[in-house]
Amino acid sequence: MKMKRMLALLLAAAMIFSLAACTSSGTQDQGASAADAQDVLEGKTYVDTYKTYFSSSYASFNYFSTAYATVREIVSNCIDGLVEPDIYGVYVPSLAESWETNDDETVWTFHIRQGLKWVDHTGAETEYDLTAQDFVDGIRYIADPQNDAYSMRVVRNLISGLYDYYWDLDDIDCGDKTDMTREEAAARFDEMVGVKALDDYTVQYTLDSSAPYFLSLIESSMLLLPIEYDYAVEMGDDFGIDNEHMLYCGAYYISQFERDKAITLTANPHYWDKDHVNLATVEYQMISDDTTSVEMFKRGETDYTTVAAEEYLSMQGTEWGDKLIPTDHSFSTNYLWLDFDGENPEFNAFVNNENFRLALMYAMNREAIGALREPVDPSRILRNTINAEGAIFDSNGKDYTDYSPLKEIKEMDYTNPDLAKEYMEKAIAELCDADGNIIGCEPTTVDYLPVCSFAVDGKLPVTICYVGTDDEDEIVMAQLLKAMIEEALGTENVDFHIEAFSGWTYGTVADPLNYDIYFDSLSTNYADPSGILTRLTTDGAENVGCYDVPEYDALIEEALAADTFEDRLQKFAEAEAYLAGKGFVIPFISSLRGYYMSYCVPHTSPLTLYGNDKYKGCQVMTEPITFEEFQALDAQYDIERAEALKAK
Amino acid sequence: MSRYILRRALRSLLTVVIVFVAVFMLLRLMPLSGYFPPEMIKEADEATRMVYLRNQGLLDHPMVQLGRFVGNMFHGDLGRSLTVYPKVPIATLLKEKIPVTAAFGFASMLIGIVFGVGLGLFMVRFKDKAGDKLGTVFILLVRAVPSLIYLFFIQVWISKWFNLPLIFYKDRPISWILPTICLSLSSIAYYALWLRRFMVDEENQDYVKFAQVKGLPKREVLKRHVFKNAAIPLIIYIPYDLLMIIAGSLVIETLYAIPGTGGLLTTAIKSQDNNLVQVIVLMYAILSVIGVFLGDLLVAFVDPRIKLTEGE
Amino acid sequence: MDEKKKMPAALDPLKFRAAVYDQIAGEDVGFSNYSYWRSTLRTFFRSKAVVFLVTAVLAMIVMSIVYPIVSSVDPRAVVVDPRQWNLRPSMDHFFGTDSLGRDIWARAWYGARNSFLLGFAIACSDVGFGTLAGALWGYNKKLDPFFVELYNIITNIPSTVYLVLLAYIMNTSYLTLFFAMASRGWIVEARFFRNRILSIRDSEYNIASRCLGTPMHRIAFRNIVPHIISLIIMEAALCIPYSIGSEVFMGFVGVGLPVDAITLGNIVNQGRQSFTLHPYQMLLPTAILCLITVAFYVIGNKFADASDPRNHV
Repeated sequence: MKMKRMLALLLAAAMIFSLAACTSSGTQDQGASAADAQDVLEGKTYVDTYKTYFSSSYASFNYFSTAYATVREIVSNCIDGLVEPDIYGVYVPSLAESWETNDDETVWTFHIRQGLKWVDHTGAETEYDLTAQDFVDGIRYIADPQNDAYSMRVVRNLISGLYDYYWDLDDIDCGDKTDMTREEAAARFDEMVGVKALDDYTVQYTLDSSAPYFLSLIESSMLLLPIEYDYAVEMGDDFGIDNEHMLYCGAYYISQFERDKAITLTANPHYWDKDHVNLATVEYQMISDDTTSVEMFKRGETDYTTVAAEEYLSMQGTEWGDKLIPTDHSFSTNYLWLDFDGENPEFNAFVNNENFRLALMYAMNREAIGALREPVDPSRILRNTINAEGAIFDSNGKDYTDYSPLKEIKEMDYTNPDLAKEYMEKAIAELCDADGNIIGCEPTTVDYLPVCSFAVDGKLPVTICYVGTDDEDEIVMAQLLKAMIEEALGTENVDFHIEAFSGWTYGTVADPLNYDIYFDSLSTNYADPSGILTRLTTDGAENVGCYDVPEYDALIEEALAADTFEDRLQKFAEAEAYLAGKGFVIPFISSLRGYYMSYCVPHTSPLTLYGNDKYKGCQVMTEPITFEEFQALDAQYDIERAEALKAK
Repeated sequence: MSRYILRRALRSLLTVVIVFVAVFMLLRLMPLSGYFPPEMIKEADEATRMVYLRNQGLLDHPMVQLGRFVGNMFHGDLGRSLTVYPKVPIATLLKEKIPVTAAFGFASMLIGIVFGVGLGLFMVRFKDKAGDKLGTVFILLVRAVPSLIYLFFIQVWISKWFNLPLIFYKDRPISWILPTICLSLSSIAYYALWLRRFMVDEENQDYVKFAQVKGLPKREVLKRHVFKNAAIPLIIYIPYDLLMIIAGSLVIETLYAIPGTGGLLTTAIKSQDNNLVQVIVLMYAILSVIGVFLGDLLVAFVDPRIKLTEGE
Repeated sequence: MDEKKKMPAALDPLKFRAAVYDQIAGEDVGFSNYSYWRSTLRTFFRSKAVVFLVTAVLAMIVMSIVYPIVSSVDPRAVVVDPRQWNLRPSMDHFFGTDSLGRDIWARAWYGARNSFLLGFAIACSDVGFGTLAGALWGYNKKLDPFFVELYNIITNIPSTVYLVLLAYIMNTSYLTLFFAMASRGWIVEARFFRNRILSIRDSEYNIASRCLGTPMHRIAFRNIVPHIISLIIMEAALCIPYSIGSEVFMGFVGVGLPVDAITLGNIVNQGRQSFTLHPYQMLLPTAILCLITVAFYVIGNKFADASDPRNHV
């Protein structure tokens, strides 16, 4: 009985989703949806306070040296960048009033808004003007190794001269370079590094390679934000440790800060665009428990909550059932990483065989893995590509993942145990003798310490050691993986074992190759596939599994040298298809999860695809939005967005 | 007496030093890779990681690090947190967190003692009757049901029935009630359980039988004789508990979003925040030796039979 | 006055005859067939609650040993089909299935077996070493400062510090978990026993024995051990549920068990995740856990009462 109801519910939910998909792809009559959208907002009243929460502590607000990307959530509201996306994701002026670039997109010049000052944590203007120099100083700050700006690989390799300058300073710090003092080296910043204040209100970036995606990098990377250098130097290590030790130039300033407890953002009275700031205050509470946040939402103590898929099921049929809205996108992709050069000779022999990798790929029932996170509609979160769909578009608005041959991979159904078994048998035929001995493989003890150590006998079954964290959800996923792979390939062929290692870090597991398979995620951070793909080359930073793929490297070289952005995307798509199609990396689902409930009107704040949500423009109602209202507004928005993107 | 205190103080100092140095050196045995947040290690190449380690002084010899820490400490500088709250001065952190946890800890300890002793006395008074059984059921429930289950129940359901806030707010005293109750439940059970046990043991003593034979009413015997003797083994731990309330409770502080010290040490150790760990360990070690010492003094004070002398 | 004088006259003179000397009955005097252990057990089993709980615990122990031997259900068998996950209780699965379609009934009994074994092992080590060390500590005053400092040091170093290190050095296994959990409990027990032994050692009857020249070992075994044996049993009984509970914390620090190991602790921990949606998944393991805790607590306490000779009358 219960089971039937559950099934009916699943079906109903699936229908709703397919309907939603239909409406959003524009089959509905255009005029009608516009009218619907207007009806929806008829008679709504709005408030100017928004109560929300954060789930893990904000350790520091130093946007240059933070190790925690979550800080960006606060910083993107408090520090404005040169440009920002509007509600359709089109870049519009922010602190820069206008900008231009040269033909090959290596020199970018921005004209800064005049007459702005930094404000402090009371909202009062300080003596510091906001000028082009502050952007130059931002780079100067991160260029000093002693300031610990450590997630700077992309920026350091892009802005010309920054790499050399950084390592010069470092060489002096550790005494390898003695022919000049630190002061002398630091004085060379202006001549060496490709960022210059042409005058008080013009800043120019010179890049080492063509970067058509530079504006999206400005959105996503905190390292390109401005800083008041004198102030930061005066603060020293204290810079950004709390709201009183930093300056603001964004729509909000942090008026109250209780560590691990509460944060209050107050609208900046001196903000350049204050007419578009609807919320006077944003109040954050720390709530680390999902159940608590849902409960608080029900009692009206927060205006937003995420809802896990399982709770979604339990809330169906209650008064909250019609207020649940599916989370719409995640650019982060979960993938399995394989070790091509580890100590396990059995796995090593097999993983270098393409048939075995394909066998692994086809053995996974992706829908079942998806169902762990999204029992309602698992197919919503499946993803076969490394870069996310809907993240990168060419100048005609065509999605990068729709470029052939990546499109075929994207649309492939990989769940096929029979095919997996066939591939496995092929691999065995190539790698083993008739008695099941793996050719060239001696019995030995594999030393993956501190993770584990185990003995292998050089015979089938192939021992596969999955090394994951001790996170409950990940263990469950690994156990499912084990069941699927052993079922599809046969326990006589594979022996999959799981190590849940609490000390899982890159330094203990990934770097020293102490694993056969691990699970991780990669995220498309700006509007260009190079963000991930250039890190995956044979000597790329992300290639911790040490595979050797000259064909892929060649395609990446070609892509980087391409003349047009379309050619570039084409080559990148070929490269990505090569890597994912041959199973060097096995992407399988996106990080998308769950649902949410909210008092916000959707699509009123900037569409921040690569950065974090901003409250600028956001409208908060006196009652929660229902899924029906959301659909009407969403349909209308999709039409408008398509037009806005076309107009661009 | 003063000679005893002096010798005891010296020995305690030795304990603290051994504990501190041991922890300090143990921390330095941890792998270097543990100092990196995941986002950094993915982004940064080997060379950048070394820059980071050197900037934090983690590549120096442990003895040099120890010397530096002790030197700074005598200048009143406890250092800055490494990974949990990067660069935040540890003194600031402790100043923010300890008062919150201590307030809750003190309130719940007070409630724990008052209600725990009350319940214990009640149970002894009505030994083997309904009251005793009811108390035993309460104690068993608190001890047997996994705490996460009943804490969750209290937070979601009790708060609904009595219309209390779900989480702690600094400026709404009504929101302080539930966390305090949750914190004191286990100590109520603890005091009631042991007080009952000790009093029941004591009741079998000859002097109690004598007092009863003398014709003293049971109430009077319990109050004047049994309770006083039974309380001594409990009193000895009170100063220690009182000082160590600053350690806080991980589960309850997380549930009610209380920005206290609960779990700070565990988090710091798991994130290899050496600087934070060593300061906290030092603080706890000092407080606990003081606590144990005060406990002994207190017992010597309330129980004239006990004299503090060095064992021969 | 008159009344008083009358009283002797009211007594029955028959009752005041001289007894006939009976040699056999005379030999009998001053000896009863009192046996300490038999009386203890008799007092112990006089309570109905005890009989019930002991039966329940024995039943659980037997079930957790027998079930894994006779059952053909694999508690680790993961089902790939999501429709078999989180099933409600049915005839096939008495307590439903968990988030990967594994049978909760089977898992609970495998878990109970492993948890019992672990609990008994920890109890033996904690109380065993604790008693030995406590006896040394209590009996030898020269060792006192050493033990006090050892106690202070061990209890002052946060267990997390060395547990994290231990997790780094050793693989996850039952042995590691045992080491981790047994590493500190013994000194706490030792201190407890030392305090009890001190108070017993200096009580009057022992001083008297010593003055009479009773040898040390005789005092220890005849006068002291019976006194603390009840405490030993009680401490051991309390230790078992405690160690089952603290296993979850060990997992949190990282010295947990291999992922396919099944214990009550990790079943409850997994069930907690979906507690709001599938509360029945936690029902059985929590019930077993609670019963164990309650049973051992009550049994421990009642046994302590029963073993006190003064309660034997």
